[in-house]
Amino acid sequence: MTHWAILSGINGNLSAYEAVLADLKRVRYQVEALYILGDLVGPHPHCETLVHRVRQPHRGELEPQVCLGWWEEQCFNLHGMGSDPEATELLKQAGPDGVEQLWKSVSRQTVQWLRSLDFGFFEFDCLLIHGSTVGCHDVLTPETPPMQLLDRLLRADANTLFCGRSGLTFHLQIPAGAVTSTVTTLDAPAQTMTQTVSDRQIVGVGSVGKEPGKATYTLYSPYTNAVSFRTVRYGNQGKGFGAI
Amino acid sequence: MNIAVLSCIHSNLAALEAVLRDIDQQSVDQIYCLGDLVGYGPYPNEVVARIRELDIPTCQGCWDEDIVDGLNACDCSYPSLLAETRGHLAHEWTNREVTPETRAYLASLPLTLQQDNLCFVHGSPHSQHEYLLPDTSAFIALERVLATGADTLFCGHTHVPYVRNLENSHLTLTAVHPATPSPSHSPTPLSSLKRIINAGSVGEPRHGRPHATYVIYDTDSQQAQLREVEYDYTQTCAAIREKGLPAIFAWRLSQGLEYAEKADDPTHVCER
Repeated sequence: MTHWAILSGINGNLSAYEAVLADLKRVRYQVEALYILGDLVGPHPHCETLVHRVRQPHRGELEPQVCLGWWEEQCFNLHGMGSDPEATELLKQAGPDGVEQLWKSVSRQTVQWLRSLDFGFFEFDCLLIHGSTVGCHDVLTPETPPMQLLDRLLRADANTLFCGRSGLTFHLQIPAGAVTSTVTTLDAPAQTMTQTVSDRQIVGVGSVGKEPGKATYTLYSPYTNAVSFRTVRYGNQGKGFGAI
Repeated sequence: MNIAVLSCIHSNLAALEAVLRDIDQQSVDQIYCLGDLVGYGPYPNEVVARIRELDIPTCQGCWDEDIVDGLNACDCSYPSLLAETRGHLAHEWTNREVTPETRAYLASLPLTLQQDNLCFVHGSPHSQHEYLLPDTSAFIALERVLATGADTLFCGHTHVPYVRNLENSHLTLTAVHPATPSPSHSPTPLSSLKRIINAGSVGEPRHGRPHATYVIYDTDSQQAQLREVEYDYTQTCAAIREKGLPAIFAWRLSQGLEYAEKADDPTHVCER
């Protein structure tokens, strides 16, 4: 049965990406699509090499479908193409050194290519996106209030939402829910109805490059709805691989 | 305690004065305003001056924001090129008309006001441009109330008043994968009734009649009263035409309709 491989948060870490590609060749599933849900780049010296690798896959490798992430938006800000030209959010998170590192790591030519990326993907009944339709900054985790998680699904009319902003691997399900709503207007008497929801899910796809030596990503079968997480050890940090 | 909540005055001074007269007769203790003081209508400075004179706590609406920050909503704000042209004309006219003092006041307005278990916004807690319609998903509506931490959310922006009670909610969330940390608990059942009260529009109503609408809320009984106030809207219609604003705004005001201007997807929130 074919699967999608869903990655996020490579953050310019070429070694981690190579480790995941190698792992994909080892998995027993046929992988028919490779998604990268943003944060392809970051304050990492190998960004340019990584982008080249992603844009020009080797023979027999899947062509990754890449969407925008938080770090891509910070690149736009630094190059005067974003909504926050002062890069206040970047400064707050990464400090002046991080700003300088990002500036040095991603060329203007690459930023121009990043500008062409989609905000997210909608395949079958699945939304694949970095944060949520609210924005790349939106962090969804198991601690996010359930009504907020459901809101992020309903905004896109999706049954499954894959996101990468938190860097965590998690799989949450909303088996059932209901709300009774009564509306009164100037011209109509109160009308009551109960709205229900069932069988929706939110998946945190992990992070390939965030933690040195340990990459996590997600495999998903759109035909069986099965989700599994993979952890790949690479470099000097550890050995082996396997599902978690 | 009785509070009156006004929204979307849209530079219609005659409508505002009529509503204020009605409020005077209703033993109201406090007035709140949900923004959109300007736009569409002919008297932006006069409306702002009246609100300031009465010291009415006011949050910033989308039109107020546009006058402060410039017109930078995405194209999908407009259902047609004609509607976009009209919208831009009205914006440019208002932008020329407002005094520096009016602009500074609009810039100073907060996005949200809160009093005890009541929250006041223009569109939604997330955006001045988001429409909370009576038929918006009940889950989304409930999330907007919960996001404020209040029990009752007052909003405007749609120009059609309504009261929406949200209750008996339950939502279960389970961790499927063993590696997934336990999720936060579902708010089941809700500790109290949650409610959205849309105040309608004082100066540019769209409920099918030209009368001004607003709401009176009794904080003790938690009863909301949608009020409709008749006034001589033809004065405002004449002033719209005389001052060179698009004539369709006068026609629309006289009908209480959003004819030919209804967005295809009113739930869309502009990327700004």
